Amino acid sequence: MASSGSGYDLSASTFSPDGRIFQVEYATKAVENAGTVVGIKCSNGVVLGCAKPIHHKMVVATSGSYKRIHTCDTHIGVASTGFLPDSRVLVQRTTEEAADWLEQYGGKIPPHVLADRLGSYVHYFTLHGALRPFGAAAVIAGHDPDTKECSLHLLEPNGAPYRFYGVATGKGKQAAKTELEKLNLHKTPIAADEAVKQILRILHLLHQESKDSKPIEVEVSWICEASGWKHKGVPKDVLKTSEDWAKEQLEEEEEDDDDDEEMEEES
Amino acid sequence: MSRDSNYDHHISIFSPQGRLYQMEYCFKSANSGLTGVAVRGKDSCCVVTQKKVPDRLMEPSSVTHLFALTNKVGCCVTGSMADSKAMVQRARHEAGKWAYDNGFPMPVGVLARRMADLAQVNTQSAHMRPLACIGLFIGVDDEKGPQVFKVDCAGHYLPFFAAASGPKEQEAMNYLEKRVKEMKEYDNNEVIRTAITCLGHVLGSDFRGSEIEVGSIEGTDGKFHVLSEEDIENHLNAIADDADA
Repeated sequence: MASSGSGYDLSASTFSPDGRIFQVEYATKAVENAGTVVGIKCSNGVVLGCAKPIHHKMVVATSGSYKRIHTCDTHIGVASTGFLPDSRVLVQRTTEEAADWLEQYGGKIPPHVLADRLGSYVHYFTLHGALRPFGAAAVIAGHDPDTKECSLHLLEPNGAPYRFYGVATGKGKQAAKTELEKLNLHKTPIAADEAVKQILRILHLLHQESKDSKPIEVEVSWICEASGWKHKGVPKDVLKTSEDWAKEQLEEEEEDDDDDEEMEEES
Repeated sequence: MSRDSNYDHHISIFSPQGRLYQMEYCFKSANSGLTGVAVRGKDSCCVVTQKKVPDRLMEPSSVTHLFALTNKVGCCVTGSMADSKAMVQRARHEAGKWAYDNGFPMPVGVLARRMADLAQVNTQSAHMRPLACIGLFIGVDDEKGPQVFKVDCAGHYLPFFAAASGPKEQEAMNYLEKRVKEMKEYDNNEVIRTAITCLGHVLGSDFRGSEIEVGSIEGTDGKFHVLSEEDIENHLNAIADDADA
C-alpha cells in the first residue's frame, strides 16, 4: 500500500489508493513544527496563549512586530501557528471577512460565522491542483455581542472548523492536550484568570520538557469582563503574577518528582 | 493490474480497463466516515447518523453531520467534514439562488440533481479533486411526497425508498430491503424508528440519545428539524418496548 505517499503526494487534487490526501497531511505536519498555541474557553470568557521561540538573540521579541496573536475586529482574537507567512495570510483574511461583514450587515461578525468562512477559505486550497494547502492552523477566540457567548474554534489545514472547550496546536500539541484534558474543561469550566495561570503553566512545562535551548517568549490574551468583552492582551501585572505562579508550580512538581525518585532509590 | 497503477494519478485519465481510479479512491475516503441511513414513509422522511465526538475537548454541539439546506430540505453528509461543509454551503447557495430566480422553494430532487451535476464536473476536469463526501438529501415534495436522494462523489444521484451511506452501507441496505414494502405506509414515528433500528442493527450496538443524530421532515408543510436528545430517547424507549412486547 502506498502509505508513504510515493507519487500520490504531489498535489492536493490527488487521492491515494487508500483514500487519503497526503498534501493536506503534510501541511498538518508543518503546523507541528512550529510554536505551540493553547486556548481555553472559560466560564466567563476565552483565553489564548502562545509560545514564541526566539531564534536569534538579535530579534526584538517584545516589539509589536513579532506578534502571533492578532485582534481581528474588537471582539475576536486569532492565534496562528505553522509556516508563518501562511499564518499571516490567514490572519489577514479574518480581518477582511470581519470588515466585509461590517460593511454588508452593519454589525460585528459572529465568531462561528468567521470560523466557518475561514474554514471554507482554507478548504478551497485543499481542492485545487494549482494551489497548495495552508501550512498553518488558526485558533479563533471570540465573543458574540448578540448572544453574549464566548467560543473557541480550531481551524486546521484541512479546513474543518470545530468548537472546543480547550485546544492546543503546534509543536507541543500532544502534551498540551493531555494537560488540558486533566483540567476536565468539558465538565467544570474554569474562570478566565485561572485559565491564564494554567496556560502559562502548560507553556512553560512544554518548554522545560522539550529540551529546546532557545528561550521562548509567551504571549497571552483574553476576552472577558475585565477586558470589556474585547480581545486584549492580558494586563502586564496579571501576566506577571500568573507567570510567577506557573513557575512556582513547575518547581514544586520537579521537587515532587525528585522526592519520588529518592524514595524509590532508598526502598 | 500493475499497468493500471500508471493511470491512477489524475482524475481525468481512464485506465485501460475503463476505470477512473481517482474516483474509486475518493469513494474510499468518503466511505471511511460515519454510517448514515435515510428512510421515507407515507408522508415523512428522516435521516439518522451516528454522533461521534472525536475529542473530549470538542464541544459536542459543533460536531454534526445533519444540515438544513432550506426550510424544507435537509441532508446528512458523511465523509470528510471539510468537504461536507463545502458541499452544504454550495447546496444552500444553489437552493437560495433557485428560489430567488424561480419564486418558489427548490424541490429536493432538483437540488440533488444540481449537486450531482456539480460533483460530475470535478470528475472530468483535472484541476480540482472530487469532494470526498456522500449526501443523503431528504424532503417532502409538494407533488411527489416524501423523497430520499443519495448523491455521491462521482455525481450519481438516485431516488430511494431508503438509502444508506458509509462503511456499513451494504448491511444497512440489506436490512432495509427486507422492509421496503411496509415502509411505504409508515408514519413519521415508524419511519424514524425503522431508521434508528437499522443503524443499531448494522453497528451491532444499542444507543443512547446522545450517540445518534436524527433529522426529519413530516408533511408538505413540515420543516426539516433535528430532533432533541429527549425526542430521540422517547423513540429509543418505544423501540425497546416494542422489542420486549
